[in-house]
Amino acid sequence: MLVLQVLTNGILLGGLYAVVALGLALVWGVLDIINLAHGAFIMLGGYLTYYLFTGLGLDPFASLPLVMLAMFVLGYLIQWGLLNFLVRAPMFNMLLVTFGIDVVLTYLAQIMFSADLRTIRPAYAGSNFTVGGVTVPWTNLLAFVVALLLTGLLALFLQRQRWGRAIRATAQNLGAARLHGVPPRFAYALTFGIGAALAGGAGTLYGMVAQLTPYVGVPLTAKSFAIAIIGGLDNPLGVIVGGLVLGLAEAFGSLWLGPTYRDAVSLGLLVLVLIVRPTGILGRAS
Amino acid sequence: MRALVWVLAAAAVAALAIVPFTLSPVMVQFGISMLLFAVLAQGWNIIGGFTGYASFGNSVFFGLGTYGTAVAMVQFHLSFALGLVIGAAVAVAFAVLIGLPVLRLRGHYFAITTLALSEAVAAIISNLDIAGRNQGLILPLIRGDTMFYELSLGLMVLATLTVLWLARSRFGFGLIAIREREDAAEVMGIPTTRYKVMAFALAALFSALAGGIQAYYLTFIDPASAFDLSLNVRMIIMAVFGGAGTVLGPVIGAFLLSGVSEVLASYITGVASLFFGLVIIAAVLFTPKGVIDAARRLPRRGLAYFLDAVRETRL
Repeated sequence: MLVLQVLTNGILLGGLYAVVALGLALVWGVLDIINLAHGAFIMLGGYLTYYLFTGLGLDPFASLPLVMLAMFVLGYLIQWGLLNFLVRAPMFNMLLVTFGIDVVLTYLAQIMFSADLRTIRPAYAGSNFTVGGVTVPWTNLLAFVVALLLTGLLALFLQRQRWGRAIRATAQNLGAARLHGVPPRFAYALTFGIGAALAGGAGTLYGMVAQLTPYVGVPLTAKSFAIAIIGGLDNPLGVIVGGLVLGLAEAFGSLWLGPTYRDAVSLGLLVLVLIVRPTGILGRAS
Repeated sequence: MRALVWVLAAAAVAALAIVPFTLSPVMVQFGISMLLFAVLAQGWNIIGGFTGYASFGNSVFFGLGTYGTAVAMVQFHLSFALGLVIGAAVAVAFAVLIGLPVLRLRGHYFAITTLALSEAVAAIISNLDIAGRNQGLILPLIRGDTMFYELSLGLMVLATLTVLWLARSRFGFGLIAIREREDAAEVMGIPTTRYKVMAFALAALFSALAGGIQAYYLTFIDPASAFDLSLNVRMIIMAVFGGAGTVLGPVIGAFLLSGVSEVLASYITGVASLFFGLVIIAAVLFTPKGVIDAARRLPRRGLAYFLDAVRETRL
């Protein structure tokens, strides 16, 4: 029975992890930019939800679209006004600048929101139901469902929508996409904006099941890498696989090895996958 | 011209060497941290600047150096010198073992694997009894800022001379060829795997020695400070800001940025980190080739230099 409970926890955690990594995987796969500020975006989304909830009494699930919109604007502006100027620089320049953004956002958050722990706790937080001896918290289940929905919507957008296809074309061949009328600066800013919006949405969900501090960004970025690499960058559904693998590995790692080994398990898994199968579990061989 | 550079460099080292005897203890402490950062930046320069492998995990070597030295001194009561040797040996051995699989990865994948490595090793260390788990280790107390300062200066000079040798030797040219185009380098008969692992091991050696000095100097280490992720970014930004792949760039970058963060920290406490983030962004955006390149061309191009730098890398 303990194993079943841990399995459930792992799967629920995995769904959340999928949406945590979704934006990073999109930006990485399409723009070839590793956004080290991704976790800081998630943190900002979480705080935005927190203040909409405590200030205006807005339900976290209702504030999700608002938070995503605000984060989209922020991401669009960052790519359009800053990162677009670095696209052709050596790879580590982009890593350094996104790290700089992470530092700036983290310390702005520390100044504005203080370093106190915050949790978004609507009235239904903490309530749960039991199926066959396995306890399922409602918030975690809802967060899981929303995470899957967002992932599905992104996949649909990339497959069917005009601009989604333009983004995929940009990922495949920038020159050819430009020849077919995709304005690259706009396409880059749009993609980065969507990545930030997804991070914001992930922040809303994260803030309901975990505690927010200004410093949650870096570990979340690290987990997002692991998930993106385990799942591969070819399609958003890979991120779900990556999230589930990581969620389950952490849940069972905590059970069998003890909770202090939780991070070592996820990072060890990352290194293993990178060395054995660098294109991800679902990825095509390069 | 070349003779002049040598004379200037020797004069600069001599001037640095007398700092403990002329300036205040606070300046000496700042000097130690600045010199150790210069060593780390120079170590990164070997693998990142020359070989083109953007390692985000050099702090793992620094951390192994601190722990190797500390465990040798605390648990086995060995001397500091022996501790340094053991710390360096552990880090170099780790670099060779992990380098063989990891250096097969390229670009972002290499960067991220190395980033994860330092986290993973930190997690393992904080579960080891011999390394004092999460609490860390306390080393024997010693009063000798001058000794640590001169040791750090010596290590920095050694690291810089090694990079100078790289810039002129067959091995160094091989590394540059790997950076520019690895497949072509392989075809030209450069033993790419051996060279990459050697460069990684050299970087590990200097980072670990810096770690060992830091451990004994601070007399306290724990996993969080020994495997600090932001240390990676600091050493890279210093090397890049000074000029990655140049001999003196990383040292100049380390001195300038250490100075900037020290001034920021003393005048505007509280928001110093925030400004350091902005400095990183501005430095990379406007001087992507480093201050050495900027100093060379700025007099002729004027402010247009910065616009050119941005124009060259924009989408």
